[in-house]
Amino acid sequence: MGGRRSAGRPSGFLANNDDVTQSSTDQKAQRHSDVVWYRNVRVLRLVGQAVAVAAVVGLVWWMFNNLVNSLDRLNINTDFSFLSRPTDFQIPFDEGFDPGSSVWKMVLVGVKNTLLAGVFGIVLASVLGLLIGIARLSSNWLVARIATVYVETLRNIPPLVVILFFGFAVFTFGPFPVLRDADQLSIFGNTALILSNTVWGIPSLIAGESTGLFWTAVLVGVISAAVVARWRTRLGERTGKPHHRVAFALGALLLVTVAGLLIAGDVYSVSWPELSPNGRRILGGFKLNFGFISVAVALGLYTASHIAEIVRGSILAVPKGQSEAANSLALSSFERYRHVVLPQALRIAVPPIISQYLNLVKNTSLGVAVSYAEITLLTRSSIGNGRPAPQSIAVLMGVYLVFSLTISFLLNIYNRRIQLVER
Amino acid sequence: MMRIKRFAVMLLALTLVAVACGDDDGGNGGGGTLDAVRDRGTLLCGVNSVLPGFGIVDEAGNFDGFDVEFCGVIAAGVLGDANAVEYVPLGVEDRLTALQAGEIDVLIRNTTWTATRDGQEGLTFVFTTFHDGQGVMVPAATGFTTLEDLADANVCTLPGTTTELNLTSVFNARGIPFNPVVLGDSSEIRSAYEAGQCEVWTSDRSQLAAFKLAIESEGGAEQLILDDVISKEPLGPVVRDGDSEWAQAVQWSVMATIAAWEFGIDSTNIGGFTTDDPNPAIARFVGGADPSLGLSTDFAVQIISQVGNYEEIYNRHVAPLGLPLEGSVNDLWTNGGLMYVPPYL
Repeated sequence: MGGRRSAGRPSGFLANNDDVTQSSTDQKAQRHSDVVWYRNVRVLRLVGQAVAVAAVVGLVWWMFNNLVNSLDRLNINTDFSFLSRPTDFQIPFDEGFDPGSSVWKMVLVGVKNTLLAGVFGIVLASVLGLLIGIARLSSNWLVARIATVYVETLRNIPPLVVILFFGFAVFTFGPFPVLRDADQLSIFGNTALILSNTVWGIPSLIAGESTGLFWTAVLVGVISAAVVARWRTRLGERTGKPHHRVAFALGALLLVTVAGLLIAGDVYSVSWPELSPNGRRILGGFKLNFGFISVAVALGLYTASHIAEIVRGSILAVPKGQSEAANSLALSSFERYRHVVLPQALRIAVPPIISQYLNLVKNTSLGVAVSYAEITLLTRSSIGNGRPAPQSIAVLMGVYLVFSLTISFLLNIYNRRIQLVER
Repeated sequence: MMRIKRFAVMLLALTLVAVACGDDDGGNGGGGTLDAVRDRGTLLCGVNSVLPGFGIVDEAGNFDGFDVEFCGVIAAGVLGDANAVEYVPLGVEDRLTALQAGEIDVLIRNTTWTATRDGQEGLTFVFTTFHDGQGVMVPAATGFTTLEDLADANVCTLPGTTTELNLTSVFNARGIPFNPVVLGDSSEIRSAYEAGQCEVWTSDRSQLAAFKLAIESEGGAEQLILDDVISKEPLGPVVRDGDSEWAQAVQWSVMATIAAWEFGIDSTNIGGFTTDDPNPAIARFVGGADPSLGLSTDFAVQIISQVGNYEEIYNRHVAPLGLPLEGSVNDLWTNGGLMYVPPYL
């Protein structure tokens, strides 16, 4: 916008202004060449910057050196060779893990579990946060009050307490029976759901022989959906008729996918959870342990309260005239939100929501309280079992740094895309 | 000009400070712990705070237990006052780091003596005050009697302990599949165990005995500790590497409780033993000689009169858990146990 304005200025004014700046610079240069270097502002500024950089680098180097020397003096080694040595302990609720595999693999399992809880939590927090944020602004008294109570309760409880509440109130002292007496829900003669105070079993899909072919078909479906959507958009813009691009795109995707499914044949089969004969383990299906459920759900609910406030604030920040304009066009309440208010609110909401996502992922480290084998718990176990603490913590910090930077990088790209493009 | 000069002087001063800091050896790791403790006037002792019998905070807020009393033993030996102890409650995972970093002078927190901890972790174990072994406890109602019965069970354990490693290696070696449930401290494990989230609780047998007693006496289900002992767990005080003066002071203070036991000296009759004792070993022990251990000549008298001998300490804390001293591995070598100390010559 700034460029446009300056381009609009009268050229005479511009030239004049330029001249003034030019001559004053000349005078300054004149003065600068007269003074000795240590009174020369430009030199002093450079020196100041250099000293600051040197001080920071020096401090970091000194601290690092201090650490290495101290560890040396205490006969504690400082290399990372421990990463390739065996883990030696079994990971909670991970039947597939072999204790003989390296610490690296343990780190990967931790990363996987952290991501799993993080992704589930983010999805839950986003959906719930959006709904509750909108509900807080509802003209329905009851809906608005319930949303307010939700936000004010959860927002003012530390996340660790929410997680412990889930761990203890829902599982340890909760309503669920021990696994061998687990509640089971059957559909079509198969056990669809097993609920106990340690593990829940849900059905899962097992990849068949031609899964690759099927996913190729899905990819083709996505591409064709994009093409169809583009075509409908163009048509809509040209003719002014409703384009129904979403319906058309979904139709295309469905068509190709179903065709792929029929061609491929053996794609996925359902694996039903089943209680083992001794009643101590769930065979088949997908197993959710109480640690995962506690962490993911607790953090999802907790973060949702923060996101709800962000959503509410962002909606309120959209000028009232926009809603009024939408009303005057006789848009329904849904259409008003979908097409007018939310797109504008989203622009305001995205940056603070990014930081909530980052918090959520970092908060999964609290899973240590409920035996959830995320990276922090495993690192702590590993340190207690004789792996060097400084290096292990360095790896842990590196993992969280990569998580956080990746999330903010991706969402910053998204943020830049949805911001107002100023022409 | 003046400002530049002042700036330069300040920079120089800062550099000197930085260099001075860099050269500082810290004093804690490189030796001199004995002097540091004497200068401070108190012993910083890392202990457990949630383990009945060994290290627990009682209703009055005081630390109490077998390990805790050995802090008093060392304080009596080094400072002449068994109460000159500042207890530092530590968790499983931060106990070794706290010692390495010099936050405590000695760690007496049911810590198992292992090669890795002695070597790689830069620590020195000075003595075994309690010979323990890992066991497993199950609710008696389950009917489990052997380790093989425990296949597929959820097993509660503390993270970052030798217990966790032994559990994995023993169960894997026997081909018994299991699932660990790792919870932060013993009280959390107790809740989970009583709720049936884990069918098995594995830990040092002394700890299991303590919790069995606690659960049963508080109206919980009857518990069974299986006969299998799946590991050796020598527990005792730990100090940092590289300070043999301090290690010896701790070692001989602790061993004095066992020497006294062997001599038949306890807190009630210590007054009757003098440096004129007909038994020359006892005469030396109660202050008739100075073996130059860096301790005062009457350190053993201070320890025994203020705290007591090993048998007294054991009977105060461990015997009530249902683990009698007589005939156990922790009995005196003369009674067929493992408690044996070098002669006080």
